[in-house]
Amino acid sequence: MRSILGRTSALVLLAGLVACGREVPAPIPRAGGEGAPPARGGTLELASFADIRALDPANMADGLVPQMLEAMFAGLVDYDHEGHVVPDLAERWTVEDEGKTFRFFLREGARFHDGAEVTAEDVKRSVERALHPSAPNPYASYFESLSGFAEFAAKKTERLAGVEVEGRYVVRFRLDQPDAVFLPVLAMPMVRPTCKSAGDRYTDTWVACGAGPFKLAPNGWDRGRELRLVRHDGYYQRGKPLLDGVRWTFHVNSTSQRFKLTRGELDVMREFLAPDLVAFQTDPRWRPFGAYEANKQVNGESMNCELPPFDNVEVRRAVAAAIDREQLRKIRATNLVVQTRPVPPDVPGFDPEVPAQTFDLPRALEHMKNAGLAYDPATGKGGWPHPIPYLVYKQGLTEATAQVLAQQLAKIGLRLEIRIVNYPTFMAIRNRRRQSPMAPGFWQQDFPDALSFLEPLWTTRSINDEDSNNTSFYSNPRYDALVDKARREPSEERRRRLTTEAQKILVDEAPWAFTYGYRWYVQAQPYVREHTAHPVWGIELSKIWIDRAGGRMASRALFGHDARTTFASVFGDRPR
Amino acid sequence: MSERPREALRRFFRQRSAALGAAIVGFLVLFAVVGPLVSGHPVEASDFTRGITADDLPVGPNLTFWLGTDRLFRDVFTRLAVGARISLFIAFAATALATVLGGLVGIVAGWLEGTRVDVVLMRLVDVGLAFPFLLLVMALGAALERTTATTIFLTLGLTGWLGTARIIRAKTMQIRSLDFVVAARALGQSTLGILARHILPNVAGPLLVIATISVAQMILAESVLSYLGAGIAPPTPTWGHMLFDGQDYLTVAPWIALAPGFAILLSVLGFNLLGEGLRDAVDPRKD
Repeated sequence: MRSILGRTSALVLLAGLVACGREVPAPIPRAGGEGAPPARGGTLELASFADIRALDPANMADGLVPQMLEAMFAGLVDYDHEGHVVPDLAERWTVEDEGKTFRFFLREGARFHDGAEVTAEDVKRSVERALHPSAPNPYASYFESLSGFAEFAAKKTERLAGVEVEGRYVVRFRLDQPDAVFLPVLAMPMVRPTCKSAGDRYTDTWVACGAGPFKLAPNGWDRGRELRLVRHDGYYQRGKPLLDGVRWTFHVNSTSQRFKLTRGELDVMREFLAPDLVAFQTDPRWRPFGAYEANKQVNGESMNCELPPFDNVEVRRAVAAAIDREQLRKIRATNLVVQTRPVPPDVPGFDPEVPAQTFDLPRALEHMKNAGLAYDPATGKGGWPHPIPYLVYKQGLTEATAQVLAQQLAKIGLRLEIRIVNYPTFMAIRNRRRQSPMAPGFWQQDFPDALSFLEPLWTTRSINDEDSNNTSFYSNPRYDALVDKARREPSEERRRRLTTEAQKILVDEAPWAFTYGYRWYVQAQPYVREHTAHPVWGIELSKIWIDRAGGRMASRALFGHDARTTFASVFGDRPR
Repeated sequence: MSERPREALRRFFRQRSAALGAAIVGFLVLFAVVGPLVSGHPVEASDFTRGITADDLPVGPNLTFWLGTDRLFRDVFTRLAVGARISLFIAFAATALATVLGGLVGIVAGWLEGTRVDVVLMRLVDVGLAFPFLLLVMALGAALERTTATTIFLTLGLTGWLGTARIIRAKTMQIRSLDFVVAARALGQSTLGILARHILPNVAGPLLVIATISVAQMILAESVLSYLGAGIAPPTPTWGHMLFDGQDYLTVAPWIALAPGFAILLSVLGFNLLGEGLRDAVDPRKD
């Protein structure tokens, strides 16, 4: 009986914790008023459940890394707040030869973290280092329009002919054919100039060193634990950054992040559990300092066009019409938005004139009938006679959406059999040819342009036997031609028309049934000033400054030592 | 009924904790059988009309959804009851398999004590017991392309007999040297006959007790597997998976996690109390 009493007490304690968890404590206020002048100092504390495996522009393997590389490596060009390409280390550039030559003029006096000046030679060396086949660069093919790229990638030459040094501060990029997205691709982190210590070829032992606003602190990357950056005083934008440093802590789960945020130990947070997010969004003390990031992600149901029943376009159309996207959105209403087209609304190239894939059950049943798989919902007879394996990875959002999807597709005679595997297995099977008939598809923009979606996801040349980006193995010569033409088209207006036509084909032939986009919500502390969501980088570290009342130790006074110790004993966290 | 079982039964019901355990187990079985029939909700269908709040969160317990709805707006009561069927089926089936295997190996090894057969069987048991149980079960689960209730019960049953075998071997060795067994052998009774008529009835009591407590362990093991994502694939409800689904919603919809958590606690408690009661009831020293 003693054990019963003990367990009952545990339940009561749990209920008490649950009751406590509903409340969001007041945030730590800012010190200055609205017009307070920016002040230097302070370390910005960030955390993530994820980790990073490399800190090198030539090996951008993890989702967190671009943000860090943006802080550490300045590029020739960068993206502004609207996603437009703007000068960075290059103070200007010229485009000649009908879009086949780009000449960049570097700022004089820009310094790397090691004190050396950034020169055109460094640019060429860094580009060659990042695009050489010895580098594990998954984005190298984005530069295939560069003259001599094919020979360089095949190791037939040691130097990349398309990149030429024309002086200490002038570098020229020559393309074989016009490439409308060359500048947006160049603004990505992978070919940004690296210090001479990086050498000519990639090695995984190099200590990251660039010309960005922050540099790696001594022994600043404690793998699996944290990354510490400190201000680069030689940064070419004088007076920036304002922060002394930035610290990312890895492997911190959402609940721990939430409590760290309310205790003032975390300054910006984005990895919320849905119920916690509701609590912050509805609290008027926190609400003004939270905002959604741009929707730059597309999610959908990827149907393998090489496997039955999805080799029949009518079945794919039926699926696209049978999905009630509003129901899927409600599974995580705080972050999901209904998405019915291939390009997310916040990405340049999105066109509202592209017809949407919409929920229409009678039409879905009509498509099934056209496919020769008529289904009668009243009797449950007809449809595809076999269960369809549907692959999802363990304990992700798709494990939940898959269950609602299965309910919806059962109404048109398609029975999904959910198979759960771990993430690496999921990626290996889904991306292998003729393996998985149906699986969730998801993609986030690499650069702000419609082609960042249209090219890697659905063109024939993106099909590989293993590790295919084109997970639906969709192949349509007309679509390929439109995308290729769009990539070469220098006129913005004509390019838009081409990408719109390509999107119409995807909506109609439905290699994917588009479902939802995922919007990250970023909650900052009131004292984090000049924090606005950037369309590509999320957070702009070079602008942020800290204006905290009472400094970092203020949380002690606000929450009291006893309360902190109690939290620590319950959640296993050590108070500072 | 002969005098000895009747006396054991009397002793069992004289213990209040044993009676409570039997009542809990009875209630669970009734809940598993009747629950899905009386709830009036389909087990796998989401209710996006009544099962969801204006904030797009699951609704709490009310007259329509007695235990509220889960993160996919399905009736928690129905899923808990169907989960009980699955948990109990897996636990009983795995226990039956483990008990038969463990009993058989234990009796054979005990009867053939000191022979090569005994040495081989017991080293096999030693190796099995030395291997981390959860790791072994998860590896087996991961190796299977698709996990179903059958594969889970086979996995648990085929890995759960080792402790039983060791205990039954010791018991068999003890009984083998008793006078009535020696007498039976002297009178020329066959080995199979002795095992069936003298050894088996005398190890049946301990075997029953071990099996009852094993049911509780199997329920826990199945819940752990499901919680870790190595159990039966959704949308089939299991208590462990329900618990996992509910943990993120603990602050706004605690019923999602509390309902399966309480069910697991109650069932483990019930079977443990029942097992302890049975152990005391069949203890020959109490005769």
